[in-house]
Amino acid sequence: MNILIGGAAGQGMDTIAYLLGKALVREGYGVLTAKDYMSRVRGGHNFTKLRVESKTPFAPAEEIDILIALNEETYEIHRESVVTAGRIIFDSDMFALPEVEKRGVPVPLQTLAKEAGGKIMSNTVAVGAALSLMNTSTLQADELLREMFDEKTAAQNSAALAAGLKNVERDSCFSMPPATNTGKHLFLAGNEALGLSALASGCNFLSAYPMTPATGIMAYMAGKQDQLDIVVEQAEDEISAINMVLGASYAGARVMTCTSGGGFSLMVEGLSLAGMTETPVVIIIGMRPGPATGLPTRTEQGDLDFALHAGHGEFPRAILCATVLEDAFYRLNKAFDLAEKYQIPVLFLSDQNFGDTARSIEPYDFTNLRYNRHLVNVENLERPYLRYRYSRDGISPRALPGQFPGETVLSDSDEHDENGNIIENAVTRKNMMDKRLQKMVPLADEMDEPIIYGHDSGNILLLGWGSTYGALREAVDILQDEGLKVTLLQFTDIWPLPVAAVNKLLPQAKVSFCVENNATGQFAGLLRRETGLSTDHKVLKYDGRPFLAKEIIREVKKHV
Amino acid sequence: MTKTADIKPYLRLERYPTIWCAGCGNGQVVGAFLRAISTLDWDPKKVVVVSGIGCSSRASGYLNFNTMHTTHGRPLPFATGIKLANPELHVVVMAGDGDTTAIGGNHFIHAARRNIGITMIVFNNGTYGMTGGQCSPMTGHACKATTAPYGNLDTPFDICKLAEAAGATFVGRGITYAPVKLESLITEALKHKGFSVIDAVTQCPTYYGRLNKMGSPADMLTWQKEHVISLEKAASLPKHVIQDKIVTGVFVKDLRPEYTTLYRRLHEQCGEDDCHD
Ligand SMILES: Cc1ncc(C[n+]2csc(CCOP(=O)(O)OP(=O)(O)O)c2C)c(N)n1
Ligand code: SF4
Repeated sequence: MNILIGGAAGQGMDTIAYLLGKALVREGYGVLTAKDYMSRVRGGHNFTKLRVESKTPFAPAEEIDILIALNEETYEIHRESVVTAGRIIFDSDMFALPEVEKRGVPVPLQTLAKEAGGKIMSNTVAVGAALSLMNTSTLQADELLREMFDEKTAAQNSAALAAGLKNVERDSCFSMPPATNTGKHLFLAGNEALGLSALASGCNFLSAYPMTPATGIMAYMAGKQDQLDIVVEQAEDEISAINMVLGASYAGARVMTCTSGGGFSLMVEGLSLAGMTETPVVIIIGMRPGPATGLPTRTEQGDLDFALHAGHGEFPRAILCATVLEDAFYRLNKAFDLAEKYQIPVLFLSDQNFGDTARSIEPYDFTNLRYNRHLVNVENLERPYLRYRYSRDGISPRALPGQFPGETVLSDSDEHDENGNIIENAVTRKNMMDKRLQKMVPLADEMDEPIIYGHDSGNILLLGWGSTYGALREAVDILQDEGLKVTLLQFTDIWPLPVAAVNKLLPQAKVSFCVENNATGQFAGLLRRETGLSTDHKVLKYDGRPFLAKEIIREVKKHV
Repeated sequence: MTKTADIKPYLRLERYPTIWCAGCGNGQVVGAFLRAISTLDWDPKKVVVVSGIGCSSRASGYLNFNTMHTTHGRPLPFATGIKLANPELHVVVMAGDGDTTAIGGNHFIHAARRNIGITMIVFNNGTYGMTGGQCSPMTGHACKATTAPYGNLDTPFDICKLAEAAGATFVGRGITYAPVKLESLITEALKHKGFSVIDAVTQCPTYYGRLNKMGSPADMLTWQKEHVISLEKAASLPKHVIQDKIVTGVFVKDLRPEYTTLYRRLHEQCGEDDCHD
């Protein structure tokens, strides 16, 4: 069952998607919502796709069963995607559909909303109408309204919901898939999962500057300041944000910042400072299409090379990425652990596709989270305390200013000696470079091999990384259903690149594809640099939109 | 405004409707600017409007001049480059309060210090409209924003004092409630030789208004009306009375050599003295 809710920016498609989605989750369905919106606050054309299945889907579908058209443009743009037996709920207070259109379900959204207590509730009417078409009760939606609003507003919304339900004939309903989830699933978007993971990982200091599509992470964490003893500071820009988090990290906080490519550009000097001073920091880069301001509300995987190479000078770093809600929560937790264990910057790549897509998932298992600050303690403190003491694995003892009486913690952006004092001599410089870079060796062992999906050694091999997972997974399912043997390797840990699985599977595959949401095949380049291997084909998409399974399938079929 | 100016020729009407919400003050500021510029009979081909990133910065896209929509916070350095490369051009910068005083704050004070011949119009709505209502350095203390759901801890800048202290030679403030006054302020600013700053107080009903329960756009304008006080009146009142007021008028009107003029002089001098050694 697929629903598309469309209208102009500001018409409240998000509210409908949230209320409808969450109610269906509580009914026990698996739900996914994906947002497509323009870089504007009013007007234009925005929509959210909602997919409902027995089990939680991984990607939105293309065809539409129910279209909720809040304006005429939505009808014009999407009518051809609505299946023949589909239904089009439209606001009959605003416009009419052409006579030939047999799928229309007129609902006077505004009139009904006004009767229930106010025009503002026309979205709730639409939810009622959609639930009716799906032959689903308003019980869960009612409950949600009571959780969201005060008594009076909830009652009015509930009346609006009932009006929507009543206005639409139930006998025109669709057959719904069986609801097999527990109804206890979480329903959250990627950005919320990242914010939640940061908090659950003990991150107590976030400084950032708003930038789509990463702003949701900051807003989520800012909203938790009443429950948690954390600092969420909006800096005056990204340069300030990264330096604030570095300062806080030096002082002992567990820190993160989040931004998009343009903001990360401004953070690069600070990134290099973190590299030199060995200051732990987690940086989420919510990628969107560049260069420059690019397409602010769209998606791309165009900043991988940038993340790999950002910062002047040579220093160790790790890069992880968000593939899917079920993984990203734990992956970001790992980023915090690596940052503090190796005293390095860890870059965490997300994108609009991941950040703005919400899905119903099983509650997270918090006992699976790692929490170790990797600080020196009294027992293992060697005196005199040397912040940059040489060691076999390159990791020096990290103490905090004020932690030990009589010991100070020196940190320097210039090259320095073990104590943190500026030096110029060649031997120390070389030793310090070796010490820092030595950390890459144990770090490489920490990298997880990619997620394997589909056949365990199919003759068709697909490689992907990050948020393309949902579409790729669906492509694999469809191709396998057609009898092909397809293996997907989806990378979650990118740098240092884990190469065992790809070294084994790529040479034996008959045909291979690297699938990326960018124009130049950045991951394919990384793979070749690290393994000498190349896939036979690259499947690249860079129009600002996420992949659809059928686009991947079409490319694969050209070559098998 | 003696007669209604025809501002249509200055607009790229084919780009309409604008992206701005109903009741947004951005159009009012742009209107005042266009009426102001229409009194100057400048050759539109010699006008460059540079903007940053934000709702207000999208203004450049609707204007029939040479325009440059740059990156967030950077219109002033960009405009400085234009003016230094070709001082004949009339350079106007339009940007939001976030663009100007947060990410672009450093550039703002330095443009003022240089006193370069640029007119800067700050669309001051006290929030980040484009990205959904986060705090700006112009958000009032204790006011709400999506990144300050429990009220803003900071105290806002006074853009005019900031500009003055940094060296701007023309500084004024107007409000969208009083568009005629705003227009004449902008006219003066455009005519001024040196760095001129207009703090144009405007309304964002969608975010600032909604988050701070300020009512409809009309209510927000009424709020402006109730809080506005002229510089002359304010002068005779004690500080605590004017604390929460919007003081409007011309704060600074100074003569100090404009920066590109200084450059020209330097070059002339160098030519005479052969100061290459
Ligand atoms: C380097 C960078 N950081 C962040 C952003 C995201 N961003 C775009 S507009 C904006 C703020 C807009 O506020 P303001 O300048 O006050 O203008 P308004 O939208 O209110 O007119 C931000 C933070 C960006 N484009 N570039
Ligand atoms: S969000 Fe605010 S500033 Fe942006 S167009 Fe709407 S009212 Fe204007």
